[in-house]
Amino acid sequence: MIDPRKEFMAQLRRYQMGSVSRRHFLGVTGLGTAMAVMGAAMPGLLPRKAYAGNIGDKVSLATWPNYHDPKDFEKFKELTGADVEVSVFGSNEEFLAKLQAGGTGWDVFVPTNYTVSTHADLGLIEPLDLAKIPNYDIAAQDAKLIGEGTVKGTVYGAAKDWGTTGFAVNTAKVKENPTTWKEFWDLTRGAYSGRVTVHDYQLTTIGNALKYYGYSFNSNDEKELADAEKLLLEAKPHLFAITSDYQPAFRNGDAWLGICWTGDGKQLHRDIPEIIYVLGKEGGEVWTDFYAIPKSAPNREGGYALVNFLLDPAVNATEVQFHGQPSTDSRTNKLLPPEMLNDPIMYPAADLLSALEFGSAATFTNPARAEILARFKAA
Amino acid sequence: MSQNNSATAESAFDVEFRSVVKHFADVKAVDDVSFGLRQGSFHSFLGPSGCGKTTSLRLIAGFEQPDSGAVEIAGQSVVGVPAHKRPVNMVFQHYALFPHMDVAANVGYGLRQRKPRPDDAEIGKRVAEALELVRLPQLARRRIWELSGGQQQRVALARALINRPTVLLLDEPLAALDRKLRREMQIELQNLQREVGITFVLVTHDQEEALSMSDTIGIMRDGKIVQFGTPEELYDAPVNRYVADFVGESNFFSGAVASCDERGAVITTASGLTLAAPLSRLGGRLQPGSTGTIAVRPEVIGLWNKAAAPQGLDVARPARLLNRIYLGDHSEFQVEAEGLGSVLVRLPKHSTAGQALEPGDEVVLGWERSKALALADI
Amino acid sequence: MARARKWDWTAILLMSPSFAIFLALLVLPIIVVLVLSFGERAEAGGYEAAFTLAQYANLPARWAAFRNTLSLAPTGTILCLLAAYPLAYFLAVKASPRSKLLLLILVIVPFWTSFLIRTYAWIFILGGKGIPALLDWVGIPDVRLINTPFAVLLGIVYAYLPLMVFPIFVSLEKLDKRLLEASEDLGASPWATFRQVTLPLSAPGVATGCMLVFILLMGEYLIPALLGGGKVFFIGNALVDLFLQSRNWPFGSAVAVSLVAIMLVTVTLYLRLTLNRRGFRDQSMV
Repeated sequence: MIDPRKEFMAQLRRYQMGSVSRRHFLGVTGLGTAMAVMGAAMPGLLPRKAYAGNIGDKVSLATWPNYHDPKDFEKFKELTGADVEVSVFGSNEEFLAKLQAGGTGWDVFVPTNYTVSTHADLGLIEPLDLAKIPNYDIAAQDAKLIGEGTVKGTVYGAAKDWGTTGFAVNTAKVKENPTTWKEFWDLTRGAYSGRVTVHDYQLTTIGNALKYYGYSFNSNDEKELADAEKLLLEAKPHLFAITSDYQPAFRNGDAWLGICWTGDGKQLHRDIPEIIYVLGKEGGEVWTDFYAIPKSAPNREGGYALVNFLLDPAVNATEVQFHGQPSTDSRTNKLLPPEMLNDPIMYPAADLLSALEFGSAATFTNPARAEILARFKAA
Repeated sequence: MSQNNSATAESAFDVEFRSVVKHFADVKAVDDVSFGLRQGSFHSFLGPSGCGKTTSLRLIAGFEQPDSGAVEIAGQSVVGVPAHKRPVNMVFQHYALFPHMDVAANVGYGLRQRKPRPDDAEIGKRVAEALELVRLPQLARRRIWELSGGQQQRVALARALINRPTVLLLDEPLAALDRKLRREMQIELQNLQREVGITFVLVTHDQEEALSMSDTIGIMRDGKIVQFGTPEELYDAPVNRYVADFVGESNFFSGAVASCDERGAVITTASGLTLAAPLSRLGGRLQPGSTGTIAVRPEVIGLWNKAAAPQGLDVARPARLLNRIYLGDHSEFQVEAEGLGSVLVRLPKHSTAGQALEPGDEVVLGWERSKALALADI
Repeated sequence: MARARKWDWTAILLMSPSFAIFLALLVLPIIVVLVLSFGERAEAGGYEAAFTLAQYANLPARWAAFRNTLSLAPTGTILCLLAAYPLAYFLAVKASPRSKLLLLILVIVPFWTSFLIRTYAWIFILGGKGIPALLDWVGIPDVRLINTPFAVLLGIVYAYLPLMVFPIFVSLEKLDKRLLEASEDLGASPWATFRQVTLPLSAPGVATGCMLVFILLMGEYLIPALLGGGKVFFIGNALVDLFLQSRNWPFGSAVAVSLVAIMLVTVTLYLRLTLNRRGFRDQSMV
């Protein structure tokens, strides 16, 4: 039995130490405007520039919460003299909305596979000049995972990492050992009412509600979506929260079951071993995140330099060990410790993987799905 | 004062203090004060700021409670009774009229607090009467900020009188008015007091105001009453220099007391001059060797051209006229007298001696010894 | 009358910078939003020029958000007032000058740290390892605080308290304390004095505080998002979703225009009511 006071203090300490990321909640606020300037306080004064060309003293990166090891940005600063200015966002829609509105000032951002073509079609991102990213070796990538970085034969995205969307289970509390989305939603409306979180994100929340019925994760069929909405509205009163920032709820012991991405599952399991990560047997989502350069990038050269640096297999390996998402790059995987490669959360069994679908651009941009999520949240 | 009132029964006092002490932190604001105010009298507390006069008033009102001693109103002890349960009302220094109410609402405020509350018709009638009393019947619906200072003063009076208090307290009520209005209001307050027959207690630092209106005055210093008496007593028979200084104007010549008997005292000034004067009737004897003062009112002193000075004056000193101020019915002269220093002299308009004098003239000043007073220098 | 038409050039020159700022930061955005609200959503999101009332016709789809905002914003304002008035009263009337400064600083100090950090602290306090754990310890199990309307209201009161405290404090501090003595002197008990003098004279502060808090609450989205777990949905949350998630700018604009319109109407009504009531009360005092 854990002394509750000690546990209380440990949790508080964890909050203070920031393993429950401070940046994370800036993401969920919808306006991830908090900027963190990494690196030393004297830009461009001391470091020698090992990189060719002048990339300025600042590179602006828009990315996801808990997605980079800050030490790597310090290394980048040492090499190039440029600070990395990080802003954190909670959804792909936000990236798109901000770029559509203009004036982001981003040099690099991290869209997910199903949004790359939309960005490209709208002319918001530029074809990558692969000569400037020598560290991105397409031959070394897992071809199954990087397809959507290329639109009509042109490479727009350099794969960063990949992952899945499953659910987290606190096995100390949930004894039923759920393995399917059907069980997930039934337990939500049953034994674990008030203990479940779902994403504040239409693609995964609606997609995994569709899986309850055995429909495609990507379904845009009106009737199937109506079924999913009905399930979501039924589940709503039983939910602890609708949030993409669910780690605190799990760490606090408030949430016992919830839709979860690989990295969060990995981080939760690392700190609290009784929390496990499960892929629904019916399937669900597999995804890849890509580095992309906005057409509006004020420091394009800096953006390329940063992408190239982060995709250096050695750097990428430290990144992977930090964020817990598997890499698409075989050279990076070779540098990872074996226990990571054997970790079923990061590298699930092949039969589970084969049931997963990539989210599609049509699913992502479907206004009907956005409305369903809005109605679900407002209900 | 106790001699004056000892014959009167206890219940004849509307307000009585017995050995009242009140501290604020280390400061003794009221220090062992005792007095009684006769029913229907107009009493003033006079003194500089910080002398304890306002605290005394607040002890009567109930805003302060004494540390020790007895406070009685109409023969009843009010120690521990909060302000809202005392049969006294106050006119505040800056009137403290309620800005969110009109004149009638302000005046009727006291009635509306009564339990049981009089009905609206009764309140309306009494408000009209009160406004009639202060001669403002037409202003009932005005807002407070639309009134002049004098009108606000009257509204404050009407508001304080409407509950027919046993005692009306007035805290520097005229301080904010200009001189002419102040004179008018002084007369009006006196008339009003006679009309309503309530005991009035006024706090002021203006001796003229206190002298002109009061039946009795208590002169205060450092939390104590220095002298309590009628205006005449205070003016003619001050107990010491402090009172003489506060009541009317005097020239003070101080020095060591050379001798003193029941008829008077002799004082030697620092310049070596010897001056004699009778003792104040209420002042008591001076200790030889201590410091004493000869007080001479400016109107008692005569002033003559050097050549025209009469013979046989009790006191006569050569002097030089420094300045002359014309003040309508009289003139004030500032002279530098040998051995006395600067002296103020006041001569009536038709004084033949005064008319011819110009600054710079060599003059003689003098007075009759019997019209001066020998006072303790405290 | 004759000189009313005359231009006061000094005044115009002095006013022009603030007028320009007013125009650029307030009027222009509202015009933009108004124009957008009559448009259509472009295929990939955003705005496509059109003239249609479809967005306004679709407003009932956000009925729940309007209902939540229009019930929780006034409730929050009133709770804020109930919490703030005693505090402001104590600060202005009862506290000694020395402790007054200290207490005022204590009211302000939390606002030196980020609003998000403070709200996040509440997530922890109200979460399972916070107060519910303590309650469980003393034998009251299964209390849910976080992600409830209660938590949202608590967060609102906490966040907006100073905005309510300061106007009331200022109006109470300005209040001439002799008026309280005058009332007491005239026979009013302390409670009667409070009711008839203190409260009416602090009404301007109360009105200002309520307005400030209410207007800001109508646009609130962070507190419901963080302390409501995404389940307590304000118009502000609907707007964030519409602009940043669905990228349905025209509908978002229509919702925003409706919000502004509702606020204008309620604030106007409120001002009319408070001003009239004060006039009415003055008359009825006699």
